[in-house]
Amino acid sequence: MLDNYKKKYHKHNFQYILIDDYGNVIESDDTLFFIKRHCKIQNIHPFFEILENLNIIKNECFEFSCIHIEFKTNTFITDITIYSEKSNENLIVIEDLTKHYNNYQLTAQTRNESIINSQVLELKNEYLLEKEAFKNNFIANFSHQLRNPITASIIFSELLIDSDLSSDQKNYINIIKSANRDLKNRIEDVLDLSKIESGKLILVDKVFSLEELLNELIEAYKHLITKKNLEFNYILDPKLPEYLNGDSYRLKQIVGNLLDNAIKFTKKGSINLSVSLNYERANKANIQIAVSDTGIGIHPENHELIFVRFKKFPSVIENNNGIGLGLSIVRYLVLKMNGNINVESEVNGGSKFTCNISFKLTRYNKSLKNKLVEDLKGNLASKQSILLVENAELIQLSVLKIIANEGGFYLNIITNGNDVVPHIINHNVDLILLSNTIEGFSAMDITTSIRNLSKEYRKTPIVVISSEVFKEDLKRFKQAGANAILPKPFDKKSLLEKIYKYVK
Amino acid sequence: MITSKKIVLIGHFGVGKTSLIRRFVENTFSEDYKVTIGVHISKKTIEISDNKTSVSLVIWDLEGQDDIKKTRTSYLLGTHGFIYVFDLSRPETFKNLKSELSFLSENYKNIPVKVVGNKVDLVNKAYLTQHTGTFKPLVEFFVSAKTGSRVESLFSKLARELF
Ligand SMILES: Nc1nc2c(ncn2[C@@H]2O[C@H](COP(=O)(O)OP(=O)(O)O)[C@@H](O)[C@H]2O)c(=O)[nH]1
Ligand SMILES: [Mg+2]
Repeated sequence: MLDNYKKKYHKHNFQYILIDDYGNVIESDDTLFFIKRHCKIQNIHPFFEILENLNIIKNECFEFSCIHIEFKTNTFITDITIYSEKSNENLIVIEDLTKHYNNYQLTAQTRNESIINSQVLELKNEYLLEKEAFKNNFIANFSHQLRNPITASIIFSELLIDSDLSSDQKNYINIIKSANRDLKNRIEDVLDLSKIESGKLILVDKVFSLEELLNELIEAYKHLITKKNLEFNYILDPKLPEYLNGDSYRLKQIVGNLLDNAIKFTKKGSINLSVSLNYERANKANIQIAVSDTGIGIHPENHELIFVRFKKFPSVIENNNGIGLGLSIVRYLVLKMNGNINVESEVNGGSKFTCNISFKLTRYNKSLKNKLVEDLKGNLASKQSILLVENAELIQLSVLKIIANEGGFYLNIITNGNDVVPHIINHNVDLILLSNTIEGFSAMDITTSIRNLSKEYRKTPIVVISSEVFKEDLKRFKQAGANAILPKPFDKKSLLEKIYKYVK
Repeated sequence: MITSKKIVLIGHFGVGKTSLIRRFVENTFSEDYKVTIGVHISKKTIEISDNKTSVSLVIWDLEGQDDIKKTRTSYLLGTHGFIYVFDLSRPETFKNLKSELSFLSENYKNIPVKVVGNKVDLVNKAYLTQHTGTFKPLVEFFVSAKTGSRVESLFSKLARELF
């Protein structure tokens, strides 16, 4: 009975082939494909070349699974078993499993593709991160290297202005000065951007005088704006709180950047700054800063784009000055302060940038007021001795010139970190200006070793002249015992302010 | 009669084993990836330039494995030469290169192995130095099935060593 069923339902997916030891076909049932008798089976398909390695061993069975056999236009995916029976008789059994293996192929396809995709993605991501880190490091290092030459350039042009010059020469120096200022700002911008991208831009929360900040800005820009024969109007709301809590440096940067842009894109007319109080609520003051100009304006289509890095527009290219990084940084800062910024502008209709930012209110405290250099100066009783530790000649020369012009100080210069402590012990030193770029020495270590001296020496004030500008670095200096940091590039005023503040 | 030798390509899936064979045998290339299951066998007769003799290479294209030990041993029976392929653009495919190679040399003594980094068209010099630094000396060929670069010389060098 079973035999009948077996015959009826026999699966025709096996082919039996008998060959001799050389691979000549003796018999075949041709179920799957027709094979000519007496031909070499190796000529049917190169798989069978394997026989050359097998026919020495008799009474064995070799199994091969999932072998693709291309025959004429068909491809069979098969399991092949080779039985090497007696001398000159070998049986080949080919089982056609094409359907079964095709299903397996589909599963393998999906599995492999998804594994490969995730590996490629992972690598791309790693690669991008590496590139990113390289870029940020490169920017930080590069701008670091520019600090000494720019400092020297700023200071010497300032010194030149104070010397006897013809009015032509004075003009040239003013041009150099303004170029220096631009250069310095661009470097700060690039550095800020790398800080933003690496998540290292951190806002400080400190009490500052809004009044002072605005007055300083107005003083600085009044000069720049009138020099371009533009009118400068500013309105400060009398209701503005005098003291606020927040990041004054960044606020100054925001307003400064907006004013810089206004100057850059305005040929005639006026530039207007208005700062007003929106409201005071829950111990916070919401301040509105508006900067408007009568310049070339921006097409409404581009209102969003101007906040994107390195965008330029045809109307802007004309005077060869990109908007650059400034506005993208401004927007980042405003948003980071939980504020908002918008622009209203038409082509040839001027532009108006408005930002609203909240600051924590703080109680009025008179002692916070920074004394001006002039006030500080009067207090010096006798000539003070300053020690400069620095091996960059440009910076040595810059400090020397400023201090010599100022009078009232002795300056000693040391270039080797090892000589600092002995010098302090053997000489009277009122203030140390310590560079953090002395080859082979860390300003941190020198500061620590000074702070570890005996009582009479360890109190000497230390101002670190630093080209490190990341917050963590500055914090580390302070922790090591430095009194203040003077960031490079510095100018005459900021150097003198630090000196007067810390000498007794 | 032309003598033939069995060459087996092994390595992870997707590294380009099938593509290298297609480039060598048919001189074609496709961006599409079709997973090889089991084994495909193809044959190509070449001339070994020095003595003008024709020889046949029977090339076994194996299903890719992320671990060489998973390869069915019956496939490797009678192998004369190995080509171990990895994908330069996917470090995952060469992170165990050293142990895979020592597995081969322990179990298939005296059978030559050519170690091949494929898809060289996708990576640049800096990447190569950075990612292949430690095992670069082991790699004999940097090839591309896509551009065909060094594919011919890979096979003919192996052939010359076998005949
Ligand atoms: N760019 C590039 N892609 C390649 C190269 N070789 C193979 N590929 C691609 O890589 C994928 C996998 O190739 P395949 O030969 O099937 O790999 P196998 O699994 O090792 O046989 C396919 O999409 C190919 O088009 C190459 O040299 N360069
Ligand atoms: Mg394949």
